[in-house]
Amino acid sequence: MATLSEGAKRGLEDYLRQARAYLRGSKSVDADEVEQNVTEHIETELEGVPEPVSRDDLNVVLKKLGSPQQWVPAEELTWWRLFILRLRSGPEDWRLAYVSLSLLVAGFLILPYAPVCVILILVSFLISRAALSEAGDPEELKAQKWLLYPSLVVVYVFVLVGLLTWPLGVLVPVADEYERYFSRLQNDLDYWFMAFSVILAGLGLWWSVLAVVFLKSRKTVRTLFRPFADGYKSSWALLLLAISLGLMILSLSLGIVYYSYFT
Amino acid sequence: MTGICYCDIVKCMNDKFFDNWTNQLRKGVLELCILNDIRNRKMYGYEIVRRLRKIDGLIISEGAIYPILSRLKRQGLVETSIQESAEGPPRKYYKLTQEGEQMVSQMNAYWQAMSGVTNSIEKG
Repeated sequence: MATLSEGAKRGLEDYLRQARAYLRGSKSVDADEVEQNVTEHIETELEGVPEPVSRDDLNVVLKKLGSPQQWVPAEELTWWRLFILRLRSGPEDWRLAYVSLSLLVAGFLILPYAPVCVILILVSFLISRAALSEAGDPEELKAQKWLLYPSLVVVYVFVLVGLLTWPLGVLVPVADEYERYFSRLQNDLDYWFMAFSVILAGLGLWWSVLAVVFLKSRKTVRTLFRPFADGYKSSWALLLLAISLGLMILSLSLGIVYYSYFT
Repeated sequence: MTGICYCDIVKCMNDKFFDNWTNQLRKGVLELCILNDIRNRKMYGYEIVRRLRKIDGLIISEGAIYPILSRLKRQGLVETSIQESAEGPPRKYYKLTQEGEQMVSQMNAYWQAMSGVTNSIEKG
């Protein structure tokens, strides 16, 4: 490959990114194969051009290659995909990222109006996921990550915390009911001992179920929490399983201590 | 003034109609040309582009040839093989499959028939 000037390098990267985005939208072509052919074409066309190749010299080649938008038949792209591609790969391919962050910020600004705020944050999340899918490899997003990832982090943290802690909503009232049922739990210490033990057992049980599900469906976890779970391994689920077993053992120990010393 | 504007609009509409028509025609013809080009010998992608771009009006966007090659390969009409090149990295060569041979024969026959029909209608 001929040595490119900084401007030409950026131009080539932008062009290939656009090409990749459009080709991935087409089901009838092998995007990697076409990208390889196009890259070879550019390399061959640049042979003999004075180095470092200037942006103008590169543009002559790219102009003849044409816009990647022309390569994929319009009927192969769904309207929403075409919309996203135009937003992403226009002269300013940062638009999706700007829209995503703007919606997230707007969502937080109107936090008291809960339904609208949730909708805005969810739309921001969907736009970020769409941009991520279009980029294919998260590395392609480069600095756009800073605009696209915040909404992903907000939604993922919410989902993850919800997944891990929803049993508390059931366990705390159960523990409360338990205390009322057994009138012998006379003092606060008794109550907290029992409540803590029930909550730990319930959480441990749920987390162990969750760990097994995470172990069985690694692909789903990676897809759900893209791109942060791209490197997801079984060891993460095993760690959760170990913690859940620890919680159950702790709960059992508390129960044994309670019955041995307090009753 | 109104007359000039009206003429401009009609001209613009006619230009658009002609552009649409040539675009549709070109798509099919380009596929036929690619298949015919690799009918007798295998060629690598850039070589096909270089040959076809010499034909006036056939290629608007040189890059469009690569997705067509990929599509033809997926449809089983062409196959690829990698060969070492003295001038650089190994090259991917495209050649017709047996199915591709049959298809291009059918396409050529259809093209001849259509061409004959349009010629006879044109001559009245």
